[in-house]
Amino acid sequence: MFLEVNAEKNLENFRLEVNFSMGRGYCVILGPTGAGKSLLLEIIAGIVKPDKGRVSMDGKDITDLPPEKRGIGFVPQDCALFPHMNVRKNIAYGLRHEKGHEKDKKVKEIAEKLGILHLLDRKPATLSGGEMQRVALARALVIKPKLILLDEPLSAVDLGTKKKLINELKYVRSEFGIPIAHVTHDILEAAMLAEEMAVVMNGRIVKSGRAEDVLCYEFCDGSLFKKFSEIMEQWK
Amino acid sequence: MRHSFFLILTAFSALIVLFILLPIAVTISTQFYNPGFAQAMRDRAVWNSILLTYYAALLSTLTAIIFGTPLAYILSRYSFPGRSIVEGIADIPVVIPHTAAGISLLAVFGSNGLIGSFSPVKFVDALPGIVVAMLFVSVPIYLNAAREGFGSVDVRFEQVARTLGASQWRVFFTISLPLAARHIAAGALMAWARAISEFGAIVVIAYYPMVAPTLIYERYISTGLSAAGPVTAILILLSLVVFVAIRILLWGKNVSRSER
Repeated sequence: MFLEVNAEKNLENFRLEVNFSMGRGYCVILGPTGAGKSLLLEIIAGIVKPDKGRVSMDGKDITDLPPEKRGIGFVPQDCALFPHMNVRKNIAYGLRHEKGHEKDKKVKEIAEKLGILHLLDRKPATLSGGEMQRVALARALVIKPKLILLDEPLSAVDLGTKKKLINELKYVRSEFGIPIAHVTHDILEAAMLAEEMAVVMNGRIVKSGRAEDVLCYEFCDGSLFKKFSEIMEQWK
Repeated sequence: MRHSFFLILTAFSALIVLFILLPIAVTISTQFYNPGFAQAMRDRAVWNSILLTYYAALLSTLTAIIFGTPLAYILSRYSFPGRSIVEGIADIPVVIPHTAAGISLLAVFGSNGLIGSFSPVKFVDALPGIVVAMLFVSVPIYLNAAREGFGSVDVRFEQVARTLGASQWRVFFTISLPLAARHIAAGALMAWARAISEFGAIVVIAYYPMVAPTLIYERYISTGLSAAGPVTAILILLSLVVFVAIRILLWGKNVSRSER
């Protein structure tokens, strides 16, 4: 497996105990709000240190590596675009070793691929939800990470933008070939994107594997289906 | 009913504003007809004391920024055993009477004090003494403003910056500090203003060389209100000009930011 997480983390009112693994594909981590999905991503990114356990990527133990040494791109739910920098500087932030011309070339390249070339001189505050997601994605992709983590990337956009972004995420997956771990509570989003899937409930992985197998399991389970039927309504 | 509510609110607010403005306005306006004012404007001792005050306050504020910023960042970001004790210690100078602060500083920086007894730097009746007194009374103001500033910066920005390969130092200087800059600048300004206005602690540790508040006191005691008034007016006017200028600068920055 490309990524393996055997970790335990105790918070004040929550306990995460996961045994998660994924290959080099597009893995969707699915679960209701408060299940511990985002915490799992933070452990993978190195932002949160597990109390116990081990995180390994590509066969290497990265448990004690700080976030800056992991080579993992992280796009949080609110995008966290640096408000004091324009889009160009946001995207270029991770390219500190590149020289001016080379840096500019890389920024333009990635911006063109994600259709945000016209936004380069804008400030984050002036962007729409979809534009912010694209910029955050570009900023994470430009450093050529070994893995991209997306935390509910489509939760704050309208339905039309969501459909567009799903296609763009598929494009990113095929164009860049970087493994992606995508956290969501939306089963349709998961169904449209996932190659692999893991279902998280109450701080535990209850099912994981190939997307088709997990999805079948989810829909066969009446209680889970009820929870997700609400979300499905919006797609009608 | 609603009318009376706002009427009383406005009346009380106006009284407080007047209470602050009136003494300042009276002090300044009476000087326009006072021949002593022009004399004070030409008095070298007055200008020397004002320059010394501003210079010492600048040194004290710079020291507060250099040593206070790391503490403010630690207090806003990390929880550790004894954190509330450290926070309490940082606020102590606010509750100590300033003459008492001066005596305490003398116990440390005085000629026979803990540090003053062996330090090659002379604190008593010298610039370093003025600076430590100013620093002692103004550093809590800076610490609180800077801590609030760092607290207002979303930790997510720092976390994302680190996943983009930035070290903790780089994150601090390129993300945390610029985003907290307005609070830090406002805190530094308030600390500087507080340092300029300090008298009690300074007069104990360094009566000489005379800072402006000490000079005003000395003139008042030796000659009376007629001699102290002009110096007071000059100091108030200068402080107001600098204070308003920096406020406008900071405010202008705020406006342009929100417009973007």
